[in-house]
Amino acid sequence: MRELFWAELKRNWIQFVRYPVEAISGVVITTLIFYGLFLSARYIAGPNLQFGNRLDSIVVGYVLWTLVIFIVNDIAIGLQIEAQTGTLEQVFLSPFGGLQVFIARALASLTLRLVLMGVVLLLILLLTGSRLSFPPSLLLPLATVCLGAYGLAFAMGALALLFKRIQSLLGLSQFFLLFLLGVPAEDSLQGLALLPMTPGAGMLRDLMARGQGFDLGLFALALGNGVGYFALGLLVFGWAERLAKRQGLLSGY
Amino acid sequence: MTTQALEVHQLRKTYRQKGKLTEAVRGVSLMMLAGEVLAFLGPNGAGKTTTIKMIAGLIRPDQGWVRIAGQDPHRNPQALRLLGAVLEGNRNTYWRLTPAENLEYFGVLKGLSQQAAQRRSLELLERFDLLSKRRAPVQALSRGMQQKLALAVALIHQPRLLLLDEPTLGLDVEATESVKRLVREIAREGCAILLTTHQLDLAEEISDRVAIINGGEIVAEKPTDELIQQFSGSAYRLEVDGTLTPAQRTKLAALGVLFQTDQMTYAGKPEGLYEALAILKPLPLIRVEKDQADLTAIFLKLVRDGRDA
Repeated sequence: MRELFWAELKRNWIQFVRYPVEAISGVVITTLIFYGLFLSARYIAGPNLQFGNRLDSIVVGYVLWTLVIFIVNDIAIGLQIEAQTGTLEQVFLSPFGGLQVFIARALASLTLRLVLMGVVLLLILLLTGSRLSFPPSLLLPLATVCLGAYGLAFAMGALALLFKRIQSLLGLSQFFLLFLLGVPAEDSLQGLALLPMTPGAGMLRDLMARGQGFDLGLFALALGNGVGYFALGLLVFGWAERLAKRQGLLSGY
Repeated sequence: MTTQALEVHQLRKTYRQKGKLTEAVRGVSLMMLAGEVLAFLGPNGAGKTTTIKMIAGLIRPDQGWVRIAGQDPHRNPQALRLLGAVLEGNRNTYWRLTPAENLEYFGVLKGLSQQAAQRRSLELLERFDLLSKRRAPVQALSRGMQQKLALAVALIHQPRLLLLDEPTLGLDVEATESVKRLVREIAREGCAILLTTHQLDLAEEISDRVAIINGGEIVAEKPTDELIQQFSGSAYRLEVDGTLTPAQRTKLAALGVLFQTDQMTYAGKPEGLYEALAILKPLPLIRVEKDQADLTAIFLKLVRDGRDA
């Protein structure tokens, strides 16, 4: 599995850098979109508006939202592209099995994405003059959010295996994700913490933007939530793979 | 160690399309030995691709089973270590990656270590004459080179069974010859090759055995030579340069020779052929040929018979 992860990371990296204009423009566009949002907000509010704490929250929220959108779309879009370009069946011919290959792919593309997001985050901080606190404990709730997001990603991948084209659904899911990440599960109804990613996203807001300490209870909830949705996503994907093989749906896009 | 590379027993697959059930494969059984080339032929929609994908574990059969060198690809994913495949209509490789990068990636995907994949990649690039292009992205290679790379990728982990679905489709004459040569070499090294193609002359040239599928059922399965022999007549066609004398014609007619405009046909006992040749002496011989069917004629006959039945 370790060898497979490195092979996937290398493949991801090569495909990303082989056309450098495409790679650099991706980072620049993501950064500029946020800078545009920030400038518009400042223009409407006037020069006297002090963002302070709220600006930090916007930065955290935006970066997290783009990361989660990437993760949730990652597997489904990857599957559709590979089906169209004709490499998907070769992936399912691996003795590792489809599920393990896609887990290794998810880890590899997440690693690359986190590096890119780090670059975007630095650019945003430089452009806006915002300062964020980065406690190492930040990585723990981030991991729970990523786990939950990958749970949703595998579920979307399952739909892509069975129904082929799900672009409209992926587009719509962005607004649902915005709701999941923005919902204040930490200060309101406890039931909301059962939604995917909400406890982890709340913890990140506490740690990064509000300067609060690490809440072990909230972390346990976030971890349970992340692991639960990840496991559910894997189960759904495994079921969809078996169904696709029974119905002969792995190719023929 | 078993020499049986593939055993397929009574495979069946039915699809539901628009509320209607279609039996794509109806009780297909096959067996292949190591180093054997089996041409799996059939018209479009006969069930070839469904059968191949059931063998590869990509489509689950409703009934029947598959064993690749004794292992079941549907129950044991490790069986896929014994299988390589180049599937029709697919690129089978990543176009942004170079041939070397593709080989190394697929090597690891097939269970090799990174070092083993690198080592094997170099061997295959050299063998498949791709060494000079190892740093060019696949999309910059010719169709023939892409196909050779797909073949190399399928062999990276030294499989016992290779599935080739239309391996020469869209290739020019030179690239087709090159693929033919490689297929023969790979088979000589002990890998069993199951090949589907619509190019029947190619199948006739490189296969040891032929299986013809029609309407989801195997309608013929025999060694290629035997199948051709079965459908060939026992007559000989004779052609000479010059005109026969009336005496020669009389003697030949007595042997049972039939005369056409520019040739004669002898359909008697084999030893009688030498008597006929002695009668023709001293006229120069242009042709003495046994009436031989080709795979195209056999294929068309079997498929049409199946359609008329």
